Amino acid sequence: MTAQAPAGKRFAVRVGAIAWKEVLHIRRDPRTITLALVMPVLLLLIFGFGVSFDLDHIPLGVSDQDRTEASRRLSLAFTASNEFAPAGGVDADGADAAFRRRRARAILVLPQGYEKDLSRGAARAELLVDGADPVTANQVLTKADAIALAEAQRAAAASGAAVAPPLQVKVWTRYNPEARSAVFMVPGLAAYLMAVSAVLLTALTVAGEWERGSMEQLFASPVGRLEIVLGKLLPYLGLGIVQLLLVVVVGATVFEVPIRGSPFLILVSGLLFLVGMLGQGLFISVVAKNQLVATQAGALSSLLPSLLLSGMLVPVDNMPLPLRLLSRVIPARYLVDALRQILLKGNGLYGIWADLLAMAIFAVAIVALSTARFRRRIA
Amino acid sequence: MTSAPAIEAVSLTKRFGAFTAVDSVSFEVSRGEIFGYLGANGAGKSTTIRMLIGLLAPTAGRAVVAGRDVTREPEAVKAAIGYMSQRFSLYLDLPVRENLRFFGGAYGLWGRELQARAEEVLELTGLAEHRDTVTGELPGGIRQRLALGSAVLHRPSVVFLDEPTAGVDPLARRGFWRLIRDLARGGTTVFVTTHYLDEAEYCRRIGLMVDGRLVALDTPLALKRTWVPDRVLVARGRALGEAASALRALDGVHAVEPFGAGLHVRVDPSRWDADGVRAALAGRGGVDVSVDETEASLEDVFLSVVGRTAQGAEEAGP
Repeated sequence: MTAQAPAGKRFAVRVGAIAWKEVLHIRRDPRTITLALVMPVLLLLIFGFGVSFDLDHIPLGVSDQDRTEASRRLSLAFTASNEFAPAGGVDADGADAAFRRRRARAILVLPQGYEKDLSRGAARAELLVDGADPVTANQVLTKADAIALAEAQRAAAASGAAVAPPLQVKVWTRYNPEARSAVFMVPGLAAYLMAVSAVLLTALTVAGEWERGSMEQLFASPVGRLEIVLGKLLPYLGLGIVQLLLVVVVGATVFEVPIRGSPFLILVSGLLFLVGMLGQGLFISVVAKNQLVATQAGALSSLLPSLLLSGMLVPVDNMPLPLRLLSRVIPARYLVDALRQILLKGNGLYGIWADLLAMAIFAVAIVALSTARFRRRIA
Repeated sequence: MTSAPAIEAVSLTKRFGAFTAVDSVSFEVSRGEIFGYLGANGAGKSTTIRMLIGLLAPTAGRAVVAGRDVTREPEAVKAAIGYMSQRFSLYLDLPVRENLRFFGGAYGLWGRELQARAEEVLELTGLAEHRDTVTGELPGGIRQRLALGSAVLHRPSVVFLDEPTAGVDPLARRGFWRLIRDLARGGTTVFVTTHYLDEAEYCRRIGLMVDGRLVALDTPLALKRTWVPDRVLVARGRALGEAASALRALDGVHAVEPFGAGLHVRVDPSRWDADGVRAALAGRGGVDVSVDETEASLEDVFLSVVGRTAQGAEEAGP
């Protein structure tokens, strides 16, 4: 026998040996790197650019029956913004046809005498909206309101008459005034990507050791189960942190997502979340012990909850009660909330401590559970 | 302590439900001995090993390996032994040196000591030129040498090898066994299972497992004398076919089996010798007959043991 090193050092040597081996496995397998690092950027770009909930360039038909400077100015005010794109002149009677042929989704009707009425302070313009898609219709209305209001104020100021209405309601959207999708998608995407790859990769690597039979070889060595668990998880923890940074940095540079809070808190939230996800992957592989089952269980248990129950796409408050309760045990929900608080609001620890606590409880529970189920004796 | 056996099993038993995989097995293996554990698939060889290395808790009985009780101190046993499992021993996607580095680390070796020991093992196993080769690209025989090297990196006093040469070509098998003998000469105790009976000749002693029971245990020579007391002869010549059938019918002739171009003949040594058999074959149609005495093979022993055990089981049955 070789000279015995102190217990703490032997522990570190064993964990280090397993972690280093894992790093080599990752380095030799391009799929892992692709899954972990290329996918996030790709998905972020797709979600950021492609899956946008912002409406712009809504085809707007104009039926200008007044044909005056004032009427042209209003239709220009509409199409000058990015939200509407001119779809040409439309007959007021031809509205149905334009909607059906999708030439336009909204038609601005300026009745004869618009300019005259405007100078009297009683102008009327009509907006016909295609209500087939209520979400779009709603946004069209909101945006049209804003443009019309701005134009009214401008006209009033120009004419020198203080014809401002006695009460004006102004709606201010804080933190994401332009309601850009990317801004609220980035925290959700970070959670989603870290969840999927952390759960899948750990589930795969541990199940792989069972499948190859190498787990038996490890169990026959003095390596303890905590050492196996730590050695297996540490490299993926590092990979997950890199993912988080990647998503935040790409979000900040490409989509101008603000980073108002402390980067340190982002890291802490990410770490707590990752430990939970790695533990979940470990648990799956300890129970499943084969890669096929582990892949399916891993994908299902990470992808769906983090996508649907995290508040990334659907606000948690809008969910029916059973789903709202279920979302309470989904760590992604807390990460999404914490990241939004930190990134968008610049909140400190006082704003996110409950999220951190929830993620920590999940992490400790799942790692303890899977380590306990991880029997070193076989059969 | 030096006189204590390296492995001591006393009534070691493992039951899985109603099935008894290992049935009250007792034996001792002394230090530096090569101990062969033989038996058909499912005879209980791997189960015995798993109990001896602290991987599987015995249902009954006890075992002491490298001075430690496997039930009470499985961790101490694990640190003191090396194990090469039947299914897996290496990570095929990693280079040779990384496999050594990993297994060294798993046993607590690190830094300069690990490096020096890895070099030693590369020399010992003749793998120095392959150190940077990805393990999966090596032929099976070389891989098994590396697996053995990985199992002895931490200088264990006992190594357990479970079917180490399964699926390896004969030449590579010979090289592997040379390595095993080198280890044993260096004082390492080797406990090895195999189903290649020719390999078992390299072992100092052999235990034979049949259906979970250890039915024979001795040196290869003693086993042959005990289990195959017949005189074993090899007959060569032409036109032996009919002569063989006639010979088989004679008193004191126990077995006549085709063996290459000739015959393998087992006879009662008190009634037959080589000359007698030659005369008998020549008198019954054989041409140019020559007969030589030979040694019983372990295969003869194995067949005899299994045959007699099956017979015993039938007699003991209902």
